[in-house]
Amino acid sequence: MKVPVKWLKEFVETDLSAAEIARRMTMAGLEAENIERIGEDWDNVFVGEVVNVEPHPDADRLVLPTIAAGEHELRVVTGAPNIAAGQKVVLALAGARLIDGYSEELKYRTLKPSTIRGVRSEGMVCSEKELGLSDEHEGILVLADDAPVGVPLADYLGDEVIEFEITPNLVHAFSISGIARELAAILNEQAREPELVDVEALERRDDHVEIAAPEHCGRFTYTLFENVTIEPSPDWLQRRLIAAGLRPINNYVDISNYVMLELGHPTHPFDADKLASDEIIVRLAAPGETLTTIDHVARELDGETLVIADTERAVAVAGIMGGVDTEVSDDTSRVLLESAWFEANSVRRTSRQLRLTSDAGARFGRDIDPNGASVAAARIAELVRVIDPEARSVAFADKFLRPRERRPVAMRYTEIERLLGMTVPVERVVEIFERLDLQPEVVDESGTTVIKTSAPTYRNDINIAADLVEEVIRIHGYEHVPETLITGTAVPVSRSNERLVDQIAQNALVEAGLFQAQTYTMINEDDLLALSPDGNELPDLYGGYARPEEALVRATNPLRSDWVLMRPTMLPSILKIVAENLKYSPSVRLFETARTYQPNALDELPDERRAVVLAMSGERQAFGVETNEPDAMDFLDVKGAVEHLLTRLGGDAATFTAVEHPSLHPGRAAAVELDGVQIGVLGELHPRVAAHFGIEQRVAVAEIDLVVFAERFNAPWNVQPVGRHQPIQQDFAVAVEEATPAATVQAALQKGAGPLATEITLFDIYRGENVDAGTKSLAYRVTFAAPDRQPAEHEIERARDRIERAVGREVGGTLRT
Amino acid sequence: MSGSPPTASELRSQALDALGQASNQDELSDWHRDVLGRQGSLGQALRNIGQLPKEERRDAGQALNQLRQELETAFNDRQDQVRADALDARLVDERIDVTLPGRTQPMGGLHPLTQMQREALDVFAHLGFQTVEGPEVEYGYYSFDMLNIPKDHPARDVWDTIFIDSGEKEITLRPHTSPMQVRTMLAQDPPVRVVVPGRCYRYEAQDATHEWHFQQIEGLAVDKHITLADLKGTLAEFARQIFGAARQVRFRCDYFPFVEPGVDLSIDCPFCDGSGCRVCSNSGWIEILGAGMVHPNVLEWSGYDPEIYSGWAFGMGIDRLTMLRYGINDIRSFYQNDLRFLRQFQRARI
Repeated sequence: MKVPVKWLKEFVETDLSAAEIARRMTMAGLEAENIERIGEDWDNVFVGEVVNVEPHPDADRLVLPTIAAGEHELRVVTGAPNIAAGQKVVLALAGARLIDGYSEELKYRTLKPSTIRGVRSEGMVCSEKELGLSDEHEGILVLADDAPVGVPLADYLGDEVIEFEITPNLVHAFSISGIARELAAILNEQAREPELVDVEALERRDDHVEIAAPEHCGRFTYTLFENVTIEPSPDWLQRRLIAAGLRPINNYVDISNYVMLELGHPTHPFDADKLASDEIIVRLAAPGETLTTIDHVARELDGETLVIADTERAVAVAGIMGGVDTEVSDDTSRVLLESAWFEANSVRRTSRQLRLTSDAGARFGRDIDPNGASVAAARIAELVRVIDPEARSVAFADKFLRPRERRPVAMRYTEIERLLGMTVPVERVVEIFERLDLQPEVVDESGTTVIKTSAPTYRNDINIAADLVEEVIRIHGYEHVPETLITGTAVPVSRSNERLVDQIAQNALVEAGLFQAQTYTMINEDDLLALSPDGNELPDLYGGYARPEEALVRATNPLRSDWVLMRPTMLPSILKIVAENLKYSPSVRLFETARTYQPNALDELPDERRAVVLAMSGERQAFGVETNEPDAMDFLDVKGAVEHLLTRLGGDAATFTAVEHPSLHPGRAAAVELDGVQIGVLGELHPRVAAHFGIEQRVAVAEIDLVVFAERFNAPWNVQPVGRHQPIQQDFAVAVEEATPAATVQAALQKGAGPLATEITLFDIYRGENVDAGTKSLAYRVTFAAPDRQPAEHEIERARDRIERAVGREVGGTLRT
Repeated sequence: MSGSPPTASELRSQALDALGQASNQDELSDWHRDVLGRQGSLGQALRNIGQLPKEERRDAGQALNQLRQELETAFNDRQDQVRADALDARLVDERIDVTLPGRTQPMGGLHPLTQMQREALDVFAHLGFQTVEGPEVEYGYYSFDMLNIPKDHPARDVWDTIFIDSGEKEITLRPHTSPMQVRTMLAQDPPVRVVVPGRCYRYEAQDATHEWHFQQIEGLAVDKHITLADLKGTLAEFARQIFGAARQVRFRCDYFPFVEPGVDLSIDCPFCDGSGCRVCSNSGWIEILGAGMVHPNVLEWSGYDPEIYSGWAFGMGIDRLTMLRYGINDIRSFYQNDLRFLRQFQRARI
């Protein structure tokens, strides 16, 4: 809410600067978001008086007024049609910084003396637009007759406007007077009351109002004005509306808006002669009933929409917007001014339903004070008296179904110390409550000091003792709250295995040379479908996930079409990041540990399962400048990282088996299994899948479940004592068919060698001379060791025989010598 | 026989000459074999002694044995010399340009948000807070209702929420980590001291300071005698450990439906020490989180008697904290994951 400081100071007397007011209010709960200074730029701009106006010798459309402004008196050139001798106008001298009146955009220019059609002009008279007051540039700004000539314009018209954020609890401060009331309480000042007319003493027409939907409308009043003149509002009122962010319309609409800003209670003026009669009915709309609101939109109403109606039709959407047929216009002579109270939920519902927001709806929707309806009516009558003196207020109607009483709220005095950890003297508490009109009363209830209060009807935010504690400390000052640490029973701080596994995985992959990414957890359907280029079933990683058309975790109001599904796999997210990075980085190595979302039955929350995704593409990292051209990273690079990860997580027993996987290269894909359960996949991305993500080169990926490692985290592992005896290493070259996986050969070796072989490492693969075509020779180094002895020559011999047999039996291979 | 065998002195000068020529280990070995070896010239000379007249044999033998000792010594000296020369030559040869870039293993790095989250959780762990986690896809019941934000209450508008397709039940992407306040209290008896890290979501347009997908850490302490002063002290400790020991903290009144009183916490600006700069918009203060005393309704609905127990809660944005710490001015950089950005966080703080 924008609050012009001059207006605010009409309600509370203070010399504080706008900045200091903003600071004090912010500390007490009304956050000032911004201070705008009207007239900040008005250097060399003064209030002037038009001494005379002479015609321009060479131009019919220009005139040469002489303007006096204190020590300055000069002749200027202007084309303004509305200038006349005796007017108070705005005179800008050379050097003034003004807005270009002819530019569509906001453009500043500095005024320089110039010659227009042969006549020298040392200054100019300004329009509202040139001063930044409005978009008006037809004529010059004519000031009020009593404007002080010679005074800098900033002193006369300048103001500061503080914009406050009104949080949902602060409807009592959703007005100039409400904010003034808060400020007065903070400063220990008395807030002033506005001038009112006693409308309730007018001729009463209470029976002209029927409230047919009492649960939606607790009060309806109207004031009837006759002999009204519709014209523009006086300058001062227009300027205040503009400063507060509203557009002036005409005097009656402006008065209604002015009072809404000033008192926080919205009202609405009808052209009484356009109503069927002075009878008003507040009722629910008939389903399908239509009403064209003042924004010229025809709206179809549903049966829950509360409307204001005459005897024939709806004339306003209650509490939100009036109808265009009955709005006040130039020929209006009688005004029926509604000031009512509508139930907040009803207004909010209708506002949502019609997608129609308004300043009135924003206030009613937060539950304002029904007692304010007659005050607003009285204030409007006063402003009508001042602004349209010929008009007469002739009648007042008031149906008040649910008057609101002050609300009693009590608090044990000790509650302050219990919640704040500090004491505030009881006298101080009482003083604060008095400032806030809480009418405190200190009583002794069987030895306990209790402070009884009654909350004003405009304070719908004070209901319980804790609310009172907040009132105490926000006025007393949060700077008085000491800094202490919690005492009492210590709580054990245990660690979660899942978080530990997450952290270990992150560290392991950083060690393996990858960078951690954090990507958006939502993806779109195309990206998910693209993982299966042949339209096959989507890959079943570890938990499995469904096709998009099935019950995935789907947003009903996605922010963008990119973010529709909570991802069941992290692959699409990381691939998009890889594609982006390949534009700038020759070597991309990325991982993410995060959750995937596996759908459950309707209305059950999905399983959020921790997993890790890896992606590597581009140059294998060069080890130094002297190294040769780097190779492109491939399957084995990502496998190396995965093996490193598995080792850190205690999963080095995991096995890798070639698989068919719709997203992956048919010859370069493996399932990762641990204890017979698949825990992930790795492989090079199928080129068609990569292309969907904009990647035209080899990219190797892996996605591995992490939950399984959290589950096994506490399983003990025993460290083997290190033998004191020298191990013996022997190399074995095994010739096998090309298709035989190395892991199978190694398993055969292990099987043959038995427990004496403590380590078997593949160190060479050979094809060529002395090896048959279609076969390959795998060279393994086998370490033989025993805890209690050095293996004897004959033991090694026997192991060698067994290895030879096992290799023949298990993989059809032969030992080469 | 042709001529007389060489004398000891002839052998000596020949051998020493040859030794002087030997400049590497191979030549030395050859010399050793040719001179001192079984078939070497010295051995030959010794075997030839028998041909000498008897009276000369003893002297000649002595001379040759002396010569053997001398040559052995000379050989060892020469060998040491050759090895030393070889080492020197190798060391000279191995001279490199020490200004070349170092040879590294490929090195990765943790995401800045991860580092900030780890650090924050570490501070709170040392203050006695356990880390727990909760679902991101969360019932509206926990995201709102149980947090004193009933349906149709204007306060709901503050949280622009992304909803998940569901049947009867309202399911949200949690707009804050606060649902875990309720879940934690429902699951355990007091005292409670937990911190809850995690991703949150809002239906909010992106710009340099707003993300629809962001990360929070929630804090919750409930027990008898937990006070707002404890909240201030705990958060002051946190602020000082993260942003420097000189940091001051300040509360101001703010509104969140699930706390009462509700506050915002600011720290004095770490960039200007509170004197005012661009980062703090010249105010000297930077808001880092919202907090307050747990609303009695929330305590009661979670099964805690608000007459006996009190507690506080806070929620801070990890993204914002990380931006503040590293002077990052666009929150979206965190989720773009450009390696040129990520590489700047290889230096570790934890």
